[in-house]
This record gives sequence, structure tokens and C-alpha cells, in this order.
Amino acid sequence: MALNIVVCIKQVPDPEHFSKVSLDPVTKTISREGIPAIINPLDKNALEEGLRIKEKFSAKVAVITMGPPQARRALEEALAMGADEAFLLCDKAFAAADTLGTACALAPGIQKIGHFDLVLCGNETVDSGTGQVGPQIAQFLNIPYLTKVKEIAFDEERTLIVKRGLEQGYMRVRVKLPALLAVNKEINKPRLTTAFGIIAAAEKEIKAFDCRELGVDPNDVGISGSPTRVVETFQRVSQRRREVIYGSPEEAVKKTTERLKEFGALVQ
Amino acid sequence: MSKEIWVWAEQRQGRLMPVSLELLGKGQELSRKLGGKVAAVLMGAEVRELAAELLEHGCEKVYVAEDPILSLYQSGPYGNLLAGYIEESKPEIVLWGATSVGGELAAWVAARLRTGLTAHCIDLYIDDIKGKPQLVQVVPGWGGNLALKIVCDTTPQMATVKPGVMAEAPRTKAQGEILPLAVEIKGGDFRAETIEIVEEELEERPLEEAKIVVAGGWGLNSLGSFELVGELAKVLGGAVGGTRPALDKGWITESSLIGQSGKTVSPDLFISLGASGAAQFTTGFEKAKVILAVEQNPQAPIFEIADIGIVGDLKSILPLLIQELKKGL
Amino acid sequence: MNFDLTRQQEMLRDTVRQFADSELAPRALELDERGEFPFDIVKRTGEMGLIGIMTPKEYGGTEMGHLARMVAIEEISRVYPPLGFFFQTCHLGHYSIQNWGTEEQKTKYLPSLCKGEKIICDAITEASGGSDPTTTQTTAQLDGNEFVINGRKVYITLAGVADLACILAKTDDKFNTILVEKGTPGFEIVRRENIAGFSTMPVNELAFTNCRVPKTNLIGQEGRGLGIGLTTISVIGRTGVAGIGLGIARGCYEAALKFAKERKLYGKPITELQAIQFALVDINVDIEAAKWVSYYAAWQIDQGKDLRAIGPDIARAKLVSCELANRVAPKAVQIMGAYGVSEEYHIVRRLKDALQLFPAAGTQEIMKATIGRSIMA
Repeated sequence: MALNIVVCIKQVPDPEHFSKVSLDPVTKTISREGIPAIINPLDKNALEEGLRIKEKFSAKVAVITMGPPQARRALEEALAMGADEAFLLCDKAFAAADTLGTACALAPGIQKIGHFDLVLCGNETVDSGTGQVGPQIAQFLNIPYLTKVKEIAFDEERTLIVKRGLEQGYMRVRVKLPALLAVNKEINKPRLTTAFGIIAAAEKEIKAFDCRELGVDPNDVGISGSPTRVVETFQRVSQRRREVIYGSPEEAVKKTTERLKEFGALVQ
Repeated sequence: MSKEIWVWAEQRQGRLMPVSLELLGKGQELSRKLGGKVAAVLMGAEVRELAAELLEHGCEKVYVAEDPILSLYQSGPYGNLLAGYIEESKPEIVLWGATSVGGELAAWVAARLRTGLTAHCIDLYIDDIKGKPQLVQVVPGWGGNLALKIVCDTTPQMATVKPGVMAEAPRTKAQGEILPLAVEIKGGDFRAETIEIVEEELEERPLEEAKIVVAGGWGLNSLGSFELVGELAKVLGGAVGGTRPALDKGWITESSLIGQSGKTVSPDLFISLGASGAAQFTTGFEKAKVILAVEQNPQAPIFEIADIGIVGDLKSILPLLIQELKKGL
Repeated sequence: MNFDLTRQQEMLRDTVRQFADSELAPRALELDERGEFPFDIVKRTGEMGLIGIMTPKEYGGTEMGHLARMVAIEEISRVYPPLGFFFQTCHLGHYSIQNWGTEEQKTKYLPSLCKGEKIICDAITEASGGSDPTTTQTTAQLDGNEFVINGRKVYITLAGVADLACILAKTDDKFNTILVEKGTPGFEIVRRENIAGFSTMPVNELAFTNCRVPKTNLIGQEGRGLGIGLTTISVIGRTGVAGIGLGIARGCYEAALKFAKERKLYGKPITELQAIQFALVDINVDIEAAKWVSYYAAWQIDQGKDLRAIGPDIARAKLVSCELANRVAPKAVQIMGAYGVSEEYHIVRRLKDALQLFPAAGTQEIMKATIGRSIMA
């Protein structure tokens, strides 16, 4: 069995530095300056799962991302982790896409790579967290899909038995390849890159495709291919009391406890 | 044909997911402004009783797709049938509960219909956009109280809402009607076939039901452990939650994650420890009656949404707080 | 001039940092307290391709070069300096074999050394002194196809856990570098020295009594031992020590900075006191300065520059980074008050580790002599 696996990854701002995200008070745009970019954590779980499947059976693992030129760095890291090949979908026309506009670029990107048996992605990203892109790619590729995947087992050669998480418990699903699986954190613990991986990555190529090379209509992707649009950014009015207590820890704790009692918040 | 607002009423194991009734409440509010009727779409094996329940909460129409094959959620047939029903009836708006099933189904159907879908809305209302009444979908932006208004230029306008965000539709005299839908699943898509649902008892009381929730964030790093968060929760008889960085650190499990990609809670008291207040987190407890925040950085946006804020070092404050609250109870 | 690390070096730095934070940090205190050599961690760094970081790929290494090695040692030493010391020490032997060894020696030893399955120590120092190996008294007399080794070596790091020793001995009046495998009759570890710092790295005294090894264990040409030993120590030892010094300094600095941000005095974090702020700024600037002196030395080795010509640059790196660690560690202790000297904290241990850098790979005075010769010439 030789499987072709494609892992979708996204470069996102590092959540450890989220507190540094600031808002321009005038333009209301977000400044991410000085915030390092990382591979979306769940996408690393997806890549890890792909690599584990590769280690068990014979498989080729490709990674793909849509993003600006610097998203290449995420691909380099994925190659160092062990991916075999990498693809960057990069075009100004892809910018400012909603989930539909994103899936409209990624799906043809995956087809461009060639034959695929399994598409893996993280269940959601830390920056927008919609969890919609995976199922939408699957729809465009006309393949079955599952989200919140926490365990993958091979049943027959081209059939998987997958555990997907529910609010309480899980669902067991039999799925035929080719399929798309969006994975959760519980599925595995992503490996660290090694020096061996880094030097091996230097031999691997990153192929970049723009809109024209993908054969995609620019009207279907990016901002023009996105049916949803932001009409306004605004500050919501907080109804909270917003009482901030300074002073010595002892005083602060005492005052806080008094307030909590006043508000009746400690009644069980 | 009059405009319709649809709610996908999810049932699991023969029970209606509570978020369905919450969406119904919002749907009724929207229909008052937009006109037209609120309808629910219900799929399953035998769901007439659930349809009645929807009617009792003021639903005007319940479309029912019944077939033994639909007893368990099957992503292929569910998606195809729903997309077909929507194409045929052309509702103006479709609302989905952002459950583990609803989220993926909505995304797939949106792609199939090539229409927009806004995830995890915290508010929905009708407003005139360029002279046309449209669904305004409010989602959290980055930090503090920042929010974005999103509209969709295609129909249907679709949105998902997390459980616990909207108020449940009140009970009323059932007046609506139940309408059967054709279930064409011959040669249906079972490439992904659900075999079974395994319900697992949660070890702890679900976070959503706790009266007091104590949640920790990245700032706990200075203590080197999450232990004191648990201790405070224990003293108060509350549940423990955390932020995304706390999950990444391995301090909490996925089921205790609060916020946009986790749970939405509305306890009587929410205590946030060492979290700066990114909207991804704060949207998960907006409905809490009282919010207490302890955080080192006085500029942190968490203080904008807290009732009581303590600016200070967790290392010295947390043990004192535990001690003081132990005394008081 | 381009001061950026290459993308490969940058990825290496990131992954070693993650490794140190996630796998070393949680165990550092316990390892220090138990004082046992961390074989499992060493194997793990072998799997990651870190032990073989400057060894050619065909012998199981990753061949990322000397700057990459320095950066890796720095990142490891930032969290757990004894492991940095392991790298700097075992690499002495690796370098001797890969540079001057025979094809047979390279294929026989390097792959398992790179994997961390086997460990090598470098044995030059004797009781007569470490800085001047011409006083070496250990002898290796030729008897047919064998060397017969007699003598003692002192302060040999890693000897207690090594499978192989790379020793300097005299054959008549010529110096030879010879490999001796553990278990060879007549080769014994006499004792473990009681040394402050790098607590998990054994430092031992070795004795050779009519210890016979095949003549094929000779590294390099006959009579070249002194040159091999001195080049290895100055190139590998000094850049390694520089990396450890940078790492210790950064580890102490980060701990002190974090502490100062959290510690309150009169209701304000002590970082708002200018005395503390300036102390931290001084450390910060000190580290930056030493870093570039050190990186420059390693970078020049990677550029293939004449080792003799860049000897003073390498000496500067060792000199400056060793001083750095020994300036920063006490300052960090000071900033952290009682926490700084608590045995339950890392800083006081790092203070001892820093002290060990003074004699390692040549004393500060030897560095000055090397630099002095170059500027007086």
C-alpha cells in the first residue's frame, strides 16, 4: 500500500504572544508586529499523524499552505519535521479570503499536487478558529470527511475506522479513502524537528503556484471569492462594573472577598 | 412565497440538542424584523416527538426528514439532503448550532451551496445594509471588547452559534405545523459511515453546569503549575477551565477549554487567573453573572470586561485568596 | 556583512530550544541532585542529530558546522549546562577521529559516537599540569605491532562513562594520539574527582599499567600528537566552552529578568527600580557583545579559514564568554535575593558550572597569551 497524504497547514501568530496583539485606535486594524509566526498547533498534529502513517505503511507526505511569501517558512519547518514535499499557494488574489475563498484555492492546490488518498488538517486554527475550511475543501474535492478526529486506525487497505469526538463521548465512523480528516489535539503529540530532519529538508523543494498556474478564476478566491465581508469593527459596550483593585495582596484579597459577597457571587 | 428563517434542529440519540431551542429563540427575534416564518429542519429515524417539542417553543413550521438510516448522524446523506432542501425552499437565513456535528455540517453545506457562513456568532440581528435588510452577524475580534460585524452577500445567509450563547425560546402554545420532507437516499453517499455513538460519562461535572468556574491562562506559568487553580475551584465547589495556551501547556484537557474553539459557560461567578483577555477566550464566559480577574498587566483587556479586577502577582495573591475564601465559607 | 543565522541554523536553534524547554527543564533539578549521568538524554540528542552536528554525514553526522554546534550548545546550556559540557567534551574525540583518523577508525567509531550509543573522552591533562602538554609523562612504547602504555591522566571529563579514550602519550620523544577502548587490560579508572559544577558529568583519574593496544589505534601520523591535541582543544574545546558560557549567561539572565518582573517591593515590580533595571541592561548588553565575538569565531571555522590565523579570534570567544558567565551568574544571584542562593533554584548551581569554564580548554591566561602573541607580533 502506497498512500499519498496531503497535509494542509497554516502559518498563524504564536498564541503565547497574543497579549502583544494591539489595536490601532484610529484604523481599528490589528497590529501583529513583533509577534512570531508558527505553524498552527493542530496542523502539527495533522502532520504528525501523516508521518506516523508513513512510518507504518509506505506513504508520501506532502504539505500545502496558502499564504504570503513568508509562509514558506512554515513549509520549511514541516519539511524538517519529515514531510516529503511542500507546496505554497501564493498570489495577491488569494488575500483576505474567508473560509470559502480559502477552500476554493486549497482544493485545486491539492489536486494540482496529483493523486491523493488522504487529506489531513488541524480541526481549527488558533487565529480564526472556525473549523470550516476542512469540510469545505472536502466538499470541493468531493470526498468524505470527518472533523474532531482523535484516533485513526486502518481497517482494510483503503478503509479507516476513525474516532471523532463529540460533546460527551465519541462517534466511530468507517471511512473509505480518499478522505479528509481534521484532527484534534488528543490524536498525538507532534515530534520535535531534528538536525537530521533539517539537513534532509535542504534537499527538498518547495513548489509555489499562483492563481494562473492553479487554473483558478481570481474571482473565486481571496476577497472576491468570499461571500462574507466585514462591514464594521466596533468596541462593544461593557456592562461590567470594571472595578480594579490595586494595593498590597492582603488588602486586595480582602476587598475582593467583600465585593464578591456583596454581589452574591459566592452563594452556591 | 414568504421568506423563511431556518434553524437546523439537531437531535442526537433521540434527544434534541439544547442549542436548537436557543437558535429558535433568536430566529423568532429575527423574523419579527424580517417578516416571514421560523422553521426548523429535523432529521432522524422517528422524530415526531421532537418536532412537537419545537412547536411548543413557538416554531411555526417543522420540516421533518424521517428514515431509519438517518437515526445516527451520517455526514454524506445529512449534507446532501440538507443542501437539497435549502436549494428547493430557498430560506433567507439558516442558523446552525456550532456543536461538534453542526459546525462541520454547516461548513460543508455552505461550500456545496457556495454561500457564506459565519462561525461562532455572539449576536445576530437584521439591519438595513445599503437599503436592503440583511442579517448582521457579530463575531469577536481580537482583544477586549472588540467585535466585527459581518454580512453575507449570497443566500441563504448562514451562521453558526455556540451552545449557551443565545437564550432558549420560551414555551408557548403550539400552533405551527409539521411538514414531512422527501428522503431520497438511494445510492446515497456512505463513504463515511457512522457505526455507533459511544457516550462517555464525564469524570467531572460538565463545565457548562458549574455555578462557579475558575480558569487559568498563560500567566500561571510564573507559578510553574496549575495546581492552585484546582485548589481554588475546590474551595469554591466550582469547576476548572483554561485558555488555549493553558491547553497547549498541557495544564487542562480539551474538554476544559473555554472560548471560541472551546466551551461557552455562564456561571454565577467566573474567575480568570493570569489571562490577558484575548477575545478567543473571553467570548466563552461573557454571560457570567460576575467576573473576577487577576492579572499582572494593568493594561490587559481582561479588566475591561471584569466586574472586579486585581492587578498583581498571582504568586502572592492566589494563596491568600484561597485562604480568605476558605475562611468565608 | 550578514549577521543572520541561515534558515537551517535558525530552525536548529528553535528545535533545540524547544527540546531544552520541554525535555531538559523539567528534569534539570532532579538530575543535578542525583548526580547521575543522563544516558537517556544523551541518546535522545544522538537521535536528534545533535551529537554528530559537526561530523560528516557519511559517518552518521549531520554536518551542520561549528556555528550550528555553538548555537546548539548555547541553547542546551541555557537550560542545562552539564549537557552542554558533555557536547564540548565528547566532540574533542570526535573531531580528532574525523580529522586525522583512518577510514577504518572513522567507520568503526563515529556512527555509534554520533548516536550517543558510545561515548569518548579526551585524555591529555596530567598531574604536571594541563596548560602545557609538552610535560606529558605518559608513555606509549612500541612493541612489535602494539603500543604499551604506562602513566596517569587527571581531571578527565566523561572518563567514568566513556567507552573509548583518546589519549596523548609519548613514544620516545615523540607525541602520539592513541585510542584506548574501555576494558583493555591495564586501563583503569582510578577514582572520580570531587569537583564543583557540572554535577552529572563524571571527572576522573585514569591509570595505564602496561596497557597494550594495537598500533592501528594511532590517530594521525606518528609524532603528530601534540599538534592534534592542541588544535582540537583550541578549535573544539574553546568554541564549545564559549557556547556554554553564552548559554549559562542567558539562562541566568532570563531567570533574573522573570524574577524581577514578578517581584514586588513597596507595591511595584523591582524592574521599576533603576538599580535593578540597569543591572539587567548591563547583563543584556554584555551577552550581546560576547555572543557576536563568539559567533564570529565559529563562523570563521565554517568559512574554512586558516585555523592558525583565527586562533586569537577563537581565544577571544572563550575568554569573553567564560568571563560573561562568571559575571552574569553572580549578578543574577544578587538580583534574585534569597532565591538566588536557594539550592532549590537553578541559579546557584549555574554559578558553580560557570566556575568550571575557567580551566576548561585552556585557562583565561592561556587565552590572553595567545591573543597577546598575535598583537605583539
